[in-house]
Amino acid sequence: MNTVLKVTDAAVFAGNKQLVEPTSFELAQGRVLTIVGETGSGKSLLAQAVAGLLPDGLSATGVANLNGTHFDLAKPASLRPLWGRTLGILPQEPWLALDPTMRALDQVAEGHRLVRHLERAAALDEARRDLKALGVEDAEGKLPDQLSGGMAQRVAFAAARAGGARIVIADEPTKGLDVARRDDVIALLMKEVEAGGSVLVITHDLALARQMGGEIAVVLQGQVIEKGETEAVLSNPSHDYTKRLIAADPANWTAMARQGLQSEPILVADALSKTRGGKLLFSGQNLKIHRGEIIGVSGPSGSGKSSLGDILLGLIKPDDGVIARLPGAARHRFQKIYQDPPSSFPARITIGQNLDDLIRLHGLDRRILSALLKRLRLSEDLLQRRPSDVSGGELQRLSIARAMLLEPVFLFADEPTSRLDPITQQETVDLLVELARERDCAILLTSHDKALIDKTCDKVIDIAAA
Amino acid sequence: MTSPEYALPRATGFPVRRAAGLAILGGLVLFAFLPLLFGGPDPLKQSLRLSLQGPSTADWFGYDHLGRSMQARLSAALRLSLGLALLSVVTAMVPGVLLGVAAAWRGGIIDRFIGGISEAFLALPGLLLVLMLTAIVPDNPLMLYLGISLVLWVEYFRLTRALSKPLLLSPSVEASRLLGFGPWTILRRHLWPELAPMLVTVGSYGAASAIMAIAALGFVSVGVRPPTPELGAMMIELLPYYEEAPHALLQPILVIFLMVLALQLIGAKEKP
Amino acid sequence: MIRLLFGRLVQAALVALMVGLLTFVMTRFLPGDLAYRIAAGRYGYDIVDSAAAAKVAAELSINQPALVALGQWMFDLVRFEFGTSLISGQPVWEEVSTQLGHTLKLAAVAILLSLLIGPPLGILAGLRPGGLLDRSLILISTGMRALPQFVVGLGIIIIFSLTLGLFPVAGHDHPGHLVLPALTLALGLAAVSNRVARDAMRSVSETAFYTFGRTKGLSEWEVFRGHGLRNVAVPIITYLGVQFVYLIEGVVVVETLFAWPGIGHALVHAIFGRDVPMIQGAAFIMGLLFVALNALVDALCHLIDPRERRT
Repeated sequence: MNTVLKVTDAAVFAGNKQLVEPTSFELAQGRVLTIVGETGSGKSLLAQAVAGLLPDGLSATGVANLNGTHFDLAKPASLRPLWGRTLGILPQEPWLALDPTMRALDQVAEGHRLVRHLERAAALDEARRDLKALGVEDAEGKLPDQLSGGMAQRVAFAAARAGGARIVIADEPTKGLDVARRDDVIALLMKEVEAGGSVLVITHDLALARQMGGEIAVVLQGQVIEKGETEAVLSNPSHDYTKRLIAADPANWTAMARQGLQSEPILVADALSKTRGGKLLFSGQNLKIHRGEIIGVSGPSGSGKSSLGDILLGLIKPDDGVIARLPGAARHRFQKIYQDPPSSFPARITIGQNLDDLIRLHGLDRRILSALLKRLRLSEDLLQRRPSDVSGGELQRLSIARAMLLEPVFLFADEPTSRLDPITQQETVDLLVELARERDCAILLTSHDKALIDKTCDKVIDIAAA
Repeated sequence: MTSPEYALPRATGFPVRRAAGLAILGGLVLFAFLPLLFGGPDPLKQSLRLSLQGPSTADWFGYDHLGRSMQARLSAALRLSLGLALLSVVTAMVPGVLLGVAAAWRGGIIDRFIGGISEAFLALPGLLLVLMLTAIVPDNPLMLYLGISLVLWVEYFRLTRALSKPLLLSPSVEASRLLGFGPWTILRRHLWPELAPMLVTVGSYGAASAIMAIAALGFVSVGVRPPTPELGAMMIELLPYYEEAPHALLQPILVIFLMVLALQLIGAKEKP
Repeated sequence: MIRLLFGRLVQAALVALMVGLLTFVMTRFLPGDLAYRIAAGRYGYDIVDSAAAAKVAAELSINQPALVALGQWMFDLVRFEFGTSLISGQPVWEEVSTQLGHTLKLAAVAILLSLLIGPPLGILAGLRPGGLLDRSLILISTGMRALPQFVVGLGIIIIFSLTLGLFPVAGHDHPGHLVLPALTLALGLAAVSNRVARDAMRSVSETAFYTFGRTKGLSEWEVFRGHGLRNVAVPIITYLGVQFVYLIEGVVVVETLFAWPGIGHALVHAIFGRDVPMIQGAAFIMGLLFVALNALVDALCHLIDPRERRT
């Protein structure tokens, strides 16, 4: 096999502090290497060091050997001539990576004209051919804000490769995408591999690694702890952390569902319908939620899962239909857990301040909070901080604590873990379900991940746009 | 590769620039108001014997062309400028912020109505409005105050509305409402902490432009008129003597410069 | 674009409304003897009599019921019927239209000059934030903005005219007279626009698309030309609209300082003499100039930004 990229002892430093320990790996022609790790593990820094793209204040050491030429990673400027020509760097958020004031075609043609030095007309022809090959020829005259997410992804892919690069580096290419678009990106990258290119993928998503095949490297705290053929590593992991990572994939969870539970209903919705932006989300939707029941809703973004939950909470009005709540239950016993934890707390005050306000407002016992924090494995020190200074996983557990303080009978958890790493996701869902079960609180749980819903919920409902 | 996993620690503590601005402003306030406590020369008393006398160890500031004490005139002019600016800023800020919150909160027709009025005030450059108001009742600082406040309130209104609108629709406010919090808490915990830094910035820039406007009007002789000490008017009075007594002309210039500089330093947003 | 033009038309209507209302109130506040004083100014104290005073009062339609008078007043205004100056006796429209020519000349040169100074320096500073140029520019701009415009003008007079003897101070008959007032205005505008350009350049150079331009393989200059220039120009041009407030205000002060016979100068004179028809004419035309300049900015943005062209 022909090695196109050989990295030896790549390390990343912030001043004297080592963030990534010396790491070596190889990438062969027509192959994929996936670097897997959680947020903060240093996987992205490693890729940035290899590409010469580290942010200011960080430095690298080590050597990269590209097609027989040595490059010193401590001198990122020496890597710049490789950009576009040898290394194609796929932007993380294609929408933002396209110039908002330039037609899609011109953004692709730039590589052909300025990097490959083709004539203007020839460059435009080449760009047109690229777009056609990716099935987005009708994007050519459009500005980025007129492109759909999938189209922008393809245009950016074409633009990144137009200079002739055959080694593609993709940092979290599927972050925040729903299933359909995720598969789209994987197909795009695989096409590149089949055509003889090489791909370096950085991700937290094990399923992505499995689908891409090739080789895998697992990173934990700046250190590669396991390396090998993807299939072999995933079917027979040797390191503890890899095992936990695999177990955290919702597909591998043990089912938590309890069936056949019938108690008094706390929320009854009858013939709800809702239209948004001219699109009918659902109509004639019936739903009966019982005490302590965990109900799941799955579906792609924009399918109306959030609207349904918000209607049940009375946050938005349905176009049609009625909702009956458990008589006698106060309004504040119907709560919501948000997708993006930082945005659900007041940004400029400490979390403790927010919770103290709540305790005072409802005349609660401060000791309940302490008990909840302990239960959720949260340190009291976190209360001194602002939401922006707490990790996503901790903040989401804090918001669970905040909701549980009010002894809710119903909780709408709207994609509560989609912004979290897999292991954190598993912990968070486990704790949420555990606490709800103890308190006999019903949950409406939405997720784009069907496996997560199936494993967690007592009952799964479909949103019907009948 | 846009989001670095590692961010450099944020700078904390009180910004140096703001501290410097507050120090300068504090000095000027002392200079302006101490004579009220301890007494001092009369800013209007003429003594031709002292005409254009330069600074000395006994009198650091010297005298103007009519032999009036520069120190007394400067502090009186400062009191006028600072007082008028502060008053205008407060008068503009309070209704501006309240109307902005009201427009963002209620939306609909209230929003459009107040928005329309604010557009009317923006249609005309501010100084033209102030000039015309001073023409209605000349020689009256009250008109200056009214004019400047009428010009300034629009910015508080627009910025408050622009900041509040998305905030009131944000998940954090929705969460607070679900948790049972009322409007007062939303105002105090969500809106106010976001608005306060903006108010410091806009307030100090507003005060600076009020000071500039008062001086500009004094300079073109339509604002506060002689013999009342006013920085712009003092400059135009002293201009003919700039060769004989540059110290006299430079003093009001320096005072304005320091005042506006201090306000700019206080208002400056900290940028990395 | 149509919507923007309509917005500017509404703005012009608001200008008329504000100017009309304020000047109307002005006439109501004129003390009785002011009519007499203005009449005296026109005919001399010797021959002034109650008939002449009554004529002035009639000219200001003081004797009619307020609402009728206001209606008449606004109707005259929108037909550009400002009447005659109470002081010079000349038709206001004639005076204002010659003054407008002078002001336009001054404003145009000042804007061009400020665009040559401010944005290029700001863009250079924004490409290397924290560099020597950036830090010096912050210092100079902050200092400039802390000086009233007439002080800057005075400094310029003292340096270029009185000390170096390069340009004349006052007058308006040959192009040399234009240099100092235009420079005064331009420096004030550039002191702000260089910061706007610097911040815009900085934020554009930090965008994902700017980085993507680099990683596509483009050189620094190619990235700047392809993705920097246009994206920086949009906020700079948009900000020009805000700067025109400052320009119009500056025109009032600078014209007075340099005795430049434009509308700003005329307005100050008219206010000093409480010459209501002149105040009205000058303020209305200046307001319309402001609206026209803003419309020009709209058109420029439209040309530069392809996103605008679609709507």
